[in-house]
Formats: sequence, C-alpha cells, structure tokens
Amino acid sequence: MTLTTTSFDWVRQLVHRESAIVLAPGKEYLVEARLLPIARSMGLPDVGQLVDSVRTRPSPESTRRIVEALTTNETSWFRDGDPFTALTSTVLPSLLSARGPAERLQIWSAACSSGQEPYTIAMLLEDAMPNASTRVAITATDLSREMVERTRAGRFSQLEVNRGLPAAMLVRHFTRAGTEWQVSPSLRRMVTASECNLAAPLPRMGPFDVVYLRNVLIYFDLPTKQAILRRVRALMRPDGWLFLGAAETTLGVDDSWERVVIGRSSAYRPLKGN
Amino acid sequence: MTLAPDAPGRLAIPALIDEATVESIAGEAWIALVGEDEVLVPVPGDLPEDTLSAWVDVVGPWTGSVVLTTGRQTAAELTRALLGDAAPELLDHEDVADAFGEIANVVGGNVKAALPGPSTLGLPEVGAAPTVRNPEDVCRIEVLWRGQPLVVSVQGALPSLPVPHTPHQHPHQNGASQ
Amino acid sequence: MRALVIDDSRAMRRIVSAALEGFGYETRQAGHGQEALDVLQEGYAPDLCTIDWNMPVMDGLQFVSAVRANPAWRALTLMMVTSESEQGQIVRALAAGAHEYVIKPFTADALRDKLALLGMLPEEAVL
Repeated sequence: MTLTTTSFDWVRQLVHRESAIVLAPGKEYLVEARLLPIARSMGLPDVGQLVDSVRTRPSPESTRRIVEALTTNETSWFRDGDPFTALTSTVLPSLLSARGPAERLQIWSAACSSGQEPYTIAMLLEDAMPNASTRVAITATDLSREMVERTRAGRFSQLEVNRGLPAAMLVRHFTRAGTEWQVSPSLRRMVTASECNLAAPLPRMGPFDVVYLRNVLIYFDLPTKQAILRRVRALMRPDGWLFLGAAETTLGVDDSWERVVIGRSSAYRPLKGN
Repeated sequence: MTLAPDAPGRLAIPALIDEATVESIAGEAWIALVGEDEVLVPVPGDLPEDTLSAWVDVVGPWTGSVVLTTGRQTAAELTRALLGDAAPELLDHEDVADAFGEIANVVGGNVKAALPGPSTLGLPEVGAAPTVRNPEDVCRIEVLWRGQPLVVSVQGALPSLPVPHTPHQHPHQNGASQ
Repeated sequence: MRALVIDDSRAMRRIVSAALEGFGYETRQAGHGQEALDVLQEGYAPDLCTIDWNMPVMDGLQFVSAVRANPAWRALTLMMVTSESEQGQIVRALAAGAHEYVIKPFTADALRDKLALLGMLPEEAVL
C-alpha cells in the first residue's frame, strides 16, 4: 500500500468536486487498483507518487484521467444516446444534401478514449448508408497514447461490449476473438486514430463536418475552454455541427456558436461573421 | 460401446485456452458479480481440508468441465458477497450451492465461448470435484480471493489418448477405474 | 413498470431483481421457462422479462419462442441475461425474438444501459 491518508483524502476531494461522487473511506484499495495503470503510463512507480506529482503540478488531463478511472467502470457505447440519434436523424441528411456525391464527410471524435465513441459513429453510419466507408472518414484523437492504441486495435472485453451496445449491432459489427470482441475491418478502415492534446495548438486536420467533443471542457478553466472552442471552430466547416457533453455548453464561454435543439439533445453551429 | 473417434487426436485444452485467459474470465466475473474491488490475486495457496466444488459441463468440439474449488467457508463468504444486501442472515447449504453454482455457470459460459464451438453448457452442479481424467487435458489456475485460495480447473472429460506403439489388449475404457 | 425475472439460480434472481427494483421496477420471479409461462398465463402482465438461457424444464430460448408465438404477449420486451456468449447463440436468441442480450457477468450499470436503449427505463432512473 503506497497511499497515505492525506493522498487518499486528496483523491476523494478531487473526485467529489469534479463528479459529485463520494468515495467512502476504506476504498483505498479501489483507488490503488484503478490509478496504478495511470501511474505506470506516466512512468511513476506507484499511486502515491502519481498523487504527489499531480498535486504539485496540476494538469487538467491528469485530473480527467484520475476522475474517469474512479467514476466510470467502462465507457458506454451509446453514452447519452441523444447526440447519436441526432446524427442519423438530422445532421447526416442535412450534410448529405449539402455536399456533392464525391465529397467525403469528415467526423472528429475529439476525446475518443478506448474507441467506443468513434466506433459507435461508424456503426451508425454503416447501418444508415450503403457506402459509408467511402463517404465518411472518422478521425479519433485522444491525449493518451494507450487510448489511441486501444482505439486502433478495436478490441473490447466482454464487460465493455455489455455497456450499452445493442446486441444486434454487436453480432453485426464484431467477431468474437477469444474472450474479446474485434470490431469489423470495414469499421476499422473508417476510423483513423492519433494522439492530440486539445489544450495545445492543434495539428492540421479536417475541415470537419461534425465534431464530438464530449465531457472534456468540464475539466478546464474558462480561458482554456475558450481557447479549445476557438481552435476547434477553426477546424470546422462553416455549416458544421459540434456536440458537447450533456453538462457542457458554449453559452457564457464563447459566443460565436449558435445552439440548435435536435430532439432531446443540442448541437452547436458556428455563427457566421465571427 | 465405443470411445470418441479420436484417431487424429482430440484437441487438448492447453492448445485451446491458456491460464491468462481463464484468469481474465474469472477476474471479470468477480469484479462484475462479487464487487468492483474484489480482485483475484494470481498467487497459489493451500486449499483447506474441507472444500466445495461447483462446475458446469461443456459438450462440443472439446468436452469437459469448468470446475471451481475453494474452502467451504470461502464458498459461504462468496455467497454473502454475491448476494450483498439480499443475503439471508443464516445461509443454508442451498444458498451456497446455488450462488457458487451460478458463479461456475458464469465462468463456464465464458470459457465455452472462448473455445471452438458450437458447444452446449450443462446446468451447474455442486459437490466433490469431478476427477481429472487426463492430466494432459487440464488448464488450472490458482488464485487468492480475500486471501483465501481458490482453484479454477478447465478439465477434459475424456480419458487420455492411447500412447502410440504401446500394445493395448483391452479397450482403454478406464473411466470406471477413477 | 413490472418485470418477470427468469433464472434457475435464486442468487441471480435476487441480483437481477434488486437491480431492476433500483431502477423503479416491480418484480416477480420464476425458476424456469415453464414456470414463467404459467405466471403469464395466470394473467400477470409484465413490461419486461429477463431470461436466463440454460435452465431445467424449459430453457430461455424455448420460452422466447413460446412468448413470440402468442400474439397476446406481443408488447412484452424480452431481454436475455445469460452466460451463453458464443456469437452464434446471440444471433439465435435475437432471431427467435429476444430484443436485447446481456452477457453474464454484468454490472447493474450494464442492465441500466440496455434498458435505456430499449426505452424501458422508468424516467426517474435516467442518469
């Protein structure tokens, strides 16, 4: 056990502040088990040193990793399903009619984690249009090299595919590989994964027709939120669509977006002239 | 009665599944069913005298049993952990047999899915572990749960294949001798 | 909403029932497919059945086929909850008329996600 009471309390307070989830005393073991992989990926020998490192040099990305590791067991596929419903009901038809038949739609999953979001998008598109793999390209990015590699591999554990992936989609788009499930080659061809730090100047990408930037902004302070939204906007087509997390908005952060209600979710579109 | 037509050699379990896979299947079952911080530690321990086993049979291209064995006390503790708030104050043997059997069913179902199929899965049974028929056809892991030893054994139900060039006067129907 | 939880393990019936009750369901239980059919025939009208596959007397797949063969039960949502996890078996269950499929082991979160997909989560439980 490397975790001191002070470190554990610090983690508890952090998780409570960021997620409103309470970690009961006695959960030191859970904190150790969940955070050790993060410590290792940062080249640190144990969780105690990870906590010390983040306490002395706070970073939104490390904070996000810690909070996510302690608050979510597995990422759901149709996590808050509404932004995906909106894609097929409204966004896709509108884009297809606005673009020429030879133009490839560009979609960006900007914090792709282990790949559930980009592959959810890919599955929906493949089910909705016959030539999805030639009409659409999905760019998946994450800060963590490990997450990018997991997205590229497209292999998911039983517990992961159990989380909100419709069974019909599982058997249609995946093949069992031992204890894991491998996403189909056509979906993998649609998704290109790479590392990307949203809090720094972005690489040349896009221009994107649709951006999913969900549950990322909440971890940053206001000036960084504004900078991220500005950089994302610069990579979007003027008639593009941005989806944020259910608890996130551009309102009061960056007034160069128009909020559009689609069914039960909201999308944000660049305002002209800004 | 004839034995399985095994002239070209049946596939034995070491060629089909490895310890790491069995360990990850059992580990996922524990985390999901027993509790999110209930980890299985891959360290061998000495089983006590008084053990209980729960198993399910798999019948298909590979035929055998997936057997969980632990101390009787540990099986009862496992039952309490599985039932959580729904656990009765006093556990009877039925409660333990049912809960331990269900864990064997979950581990067995996932082991089956990792093997060549299609196969069928039997209903769970609880008692003294079925005998190992062929030591070459076993994949066995030893772990600790809350410090107590537990063994998962994926073991073939068929006797070993005849050793080539060894004269056998009798059909090798050695099941009854076990 | 009401659910009928069908599993031959009473530990598993308790676990599934406790999770569903946590989402706002009223639950009843049956130990195999025939017992579940009897409960339905008595007039109990659940919105959802969770169904184990391997059970004595009548297995889950036979139960799904029997329910699908009776137009009176057309509105019933059928969700397999089983350790049967071969791809071919999942396809068989869906072809027989199951709406969803949860592989054991599962967490309560996994059940909730699947119910949300089916639109079967009582409003107050939506997170």
